[in-house]
Amino acid sequence: MLDQIVFYSLSVLVLLSALGVVLQRNAVHSSLFLGLSLAGVAGLFASLGADFLFGAQIMVYVSGIAVLVMFVVMLLGRASDLHLRQVNDRWMAALLVCAVASVGLLKIARLSSATVATVAARPGTHDIGRLFLGQWLVPFELISLVLLAALLGAVFFTRTENAS
Amino acid sequence: MIEHAYLIPLIPLAASALMHFGAKEDPHSPAPWIGVVAMAICLGMSLSILSAVASGSVAVPYEHNWPWFSFAASIGGKSFIYDMPVGVLIDGPAAVLLVVVTLVSLMVQIYSIAYMHDDTRYMRYFGFVSFFTASMLGLVVSSNLLVGFMSWELMGLASYLLIGFWFEKDGPTEAQKKAFMTTKLGDSGLYVALLFLFAKVGSFQLTQIHHFYDKGYMPAAAAAAIAIGLLFGAMGKSAQFPLFIWLPDAMEGPTPGSALIHAATMVAAGIFLVSRTYFCFLAAPQVMHAAAWIGCATAFLAAAMALVSYDIKRVLAFSTVSQLGFMMCALGVGGYTAGLFHLTTHAFFKALLFLGAGSVIHSVHTNDLRLMGGLSKKMIVSFFTILAAIAAISGIPFTSGYYSKDMILANIWHSGDRPLFFIMLFTALMTAFYMSRLFILAFWGEARDHEKHHHAHESPFLMTGPLVLLAFLALTSGFMLDRHGLVYKLLPKPTISVMPGEVAREHAPPATLVSATMPAEGGEHAAAPSEAKAEEHAPAHEAAAEHGEHHEGHLPHALHLALPFLVLGSIGFAFFLYKGPDYAAAESLKATFAPVFTVLDRRWYLDDAFDLLVVFCDKVAALAFWIDANVVDRVFVDGWGLLMRIVSEISNLIDALFVDRTVDGFGGLSLDLGVGLRGLVKDGQVQEYLMYVAIAFSLAATLILTR
Amino acid sequence: MNAPLTLAHYMTVAGLLFLIGVFGALTRRNIIGILMSIELMFNAANINLAAFDRFLHPEGVTGQALALFVMTVAAAEIVVGLALLLAIYRGTDTVYAEDFNLLRG
Repeated sequence: MLDQIVFYSLSVLVLLSALGVVLQRNAVHSSLFLGLSLAGVAGLFASLGADFLFGAQIMVYVSGIAVLVMFVVMLLGRASDLHLRQVNDRWMAALLVCAVASVGLLKIARLSSATVATVAARPGTHDIGRLFLGQWLVPFELISLVLLAALLGAVFFTRTENAS
Repeated sequence: MIEHAYLIPLIPLAASALMHFGAKEDPHSPAPWIGVVAMAICLGMSLSILSAVASGSVAVPYEHNWPWFSFAASIGGKSFIYDMPVGVLIDGPAAVLLVVVTLVSLMVQIYSIAYMHDDTRYMRYFGFVSFFTASMLGLVVSSNLLVGFMSWELMGLASYLLIGFWFEKDGPTEAQKKAFMTTKLGDSGLYVALLFLFAKVGSFQLTQIHHFYDKGYMPAAAAAAIAIGLLFGAMGKSAQFPLFIWLPDAMEGPTPGSALIHAATMVAAGIFLVSRTYFCFLAAPQVMHAAAWIGCATAFLAAAMALVSYDIKRVLAFSTVSQLGFMMCALGVGGYTAGLFHLTTHAFFKALLFLGAGSVIHSVHTNDLRLMGGLSKKMIVSFFTILAAIAAISGIPFTSGYYSKDMILANIWHSGDRPLFFIMLFTALMTAFYMSRLFILAFWGEARDHEKHHHAHESPFLMTGPLVLLAFLALTSGFMLDRHGLVYKLLPKPTISVMPGEVAREHAPPATLVSATMPAEGGEHAAAPSEAKAEEHAPAHEAAAEHGEHHEGHLPHALHLALPFLVLGSIGFAFFLYKGPDYAAAESLKATFAPVFTVLDRRWYLDDAFDLLVVFCDKVAALAFWIDANVVDRVFVDGWGLLMRIVSEISNLIDALFVDRTVDGFGGLSLDLGVGLRGLVKDGQVQEYLMYVAIAFSLAATLILTR
Repeated sequence: MNAPLTLAHYMTVAGLLFLIGVFGALTRRNIIGILMSIELMFNAANINLAAFDRFLHPEGVTGQALALFVMTVAAAEIVVGLALLLAIYRGTDTVYAEDFNLLRG
């Protein structure tokens, strides 16, 4: 029973705050809702027993990416132009697309409505560590290379001309 | 220490890389000391290896291999796995050579620090020297002829770089090209020999090749071909007749570099290669005999050229060629020990001579002997050290050259070839003559050019220190090695127990001797009878060897005693001719025999002969080109082209009429379609594009998933 | 409410979250808004991965590890995206997607 309560409340939180992200006119509010939504996703991870993912989600998304987005929003003063429309004139078409896609997605979700968890959730941090430093070492190193490249790219793009 | 022998070539290589890429070029950089320290470490390791080998505390030959690569090949329906290890093989000669090379290179580098101090490419020079030494050491320690060949070619490159070090001038550039191309001519022979060896033996490992020869599997004809190829390579590298033309020009490089080329690395490599593959030559007696006569011709012709040259470095270069002729001749008549012994002692005194000459040139700023004279008063250390070197190379009793040259002459005497012996004896006397001539002209008597003499000064300690050490070795190394027959113990002559052709006919030798399949049935069977045969021979063989060891190394008593007096007579003759400030006696002799002198001065017209050869080849090539351009091209190429053009014109017509129309139709259709569609889309809007993606995605997802 | 939680529950939430992200990416005029919507889509995928791991392969952690990779790529994406946005903003003084049409054909 507790599981269900946690799940449904988290889901409602996630979906509502996601709607807030895409519908809020003020970009600052948008980014705050983004943080909330991502925290909700972290809660869903926790309810799935993915402890390491929960921690990573909090650290990377909620305290990293959401804050970063907030910074940029505030850095670009015009990002929060409140007198301008923040939604373009294609919103009807977009709604239609989403409706069509939702049919397929909900259909495929219903296929697995009989799949329930058979074993109890257990901590996975240890296994993830073994996996990353063992069998998946090369992808792990490659992804750190990707991060390095992203870092360099960010530095390169944001460099101002007179600084060089 | 011997298990770390692989480090000996690698340390100088690393030092070279460090000096090349480690720091900016700077004439006062301390970086050359890296090379000196690296070489000192190598010298220490080499000395410990030599002492271990000499004391018998390690078993020689020491061999250790690491896997490099292997490949499979199928020959005649059978598949073989070829293993190509890389490793070290240290035997007595290699241990001695290691010490010689590292010692001379160390001395040269220390000397060069003072000699090259104001050159603009100071560090690059030391990088080259370390690289040169590293490649020579690689050849010396390698157990694998393929790696040896690589080192051999790297050495060619290093000599090219070093000879043309002052490439701003025309002389060095010409000389480096000449050296490179001449040695490459010899290397082509070596290359063919190596291919032949691999095809026959199936391995580049020296020990396996030796084993193959030892069992007599090698057919006589193949053995001769391989020996000729190897000899050709050695002739190029060790400057044997007629490929010696590059060495006298090679002195265009920095003088310490010449010392390295002449004493420790380049020219020693050829002799060392012959000694390393000596069993190949033992299996081909005719080729050995040819090698002896090539060595003899080289020694004599070069000595004759040295008689008339007035350029101090050129005299030394000719003397190197001549001494190499001695070594080749000794190896050719079977005097393995004598040849390598002379290589060792020669390295010391020739390095000393070149470094001494460098000291003199450094001081008087000329190469011309006629402008020197009376330098003994100004340059006392150079004077005494060069005196020691000249005593050694002339064969004054109890110097190193006396022992080694005596042993060579004794070996030639016992080979029974009297003309060879007397030519070589005469050449030895000529050696004494031209070296004394150089000495008298440079140091004796009064100064001829007072201006230069006035400016002459003794070189700094960094230059004289190596000279003194080398002089000590030039005087004593012969005695040290000759005592108790140490040289026979260190440099034992390799043997092959079965000559090619002697192997039992009924058991055909295996086509290839491959490591994976070596202990094959056939091989064992074939080996059995030949071993029995070898045992039959063995007692006689051993007795002969025992006998020969005491016998071959010594001349008949009368000759042995007479030789020093002949040498002294020759030196006395040189004094008689070149005494006084204007050496009138020599000039009058020169006037009398002018044609002979001209021939010698023109270096036996060998350069001209090679030039003519090149011109002739050029003419042949021009003729071939003319035939190609006027006959082949006109008739075949142009005719074929014309035919093809007609065919293609027809093809083009069909293409334009039918095919292209269709293609154009499709193109136009898609163009119209594109233009029509484009009207519907507001371009440049990223979200518009995203919308199309989303529409396609949602439709596809829904249609496929809900099917 | 009392029915046990199934994979379908999580997939439904993930699907809805994804569609909200799609809607946002299609309709927000602000580039930052588009980037935030894309983050929502990434998270939807991550929920699915974690759910598959829990329900279909509870013996391993492969799904969680994959979700971590997705997270890393998402972080790299948003960093580069925001950097690009800053650079473009400096040049054009606008953050609206419809103004960015330099590559118009």
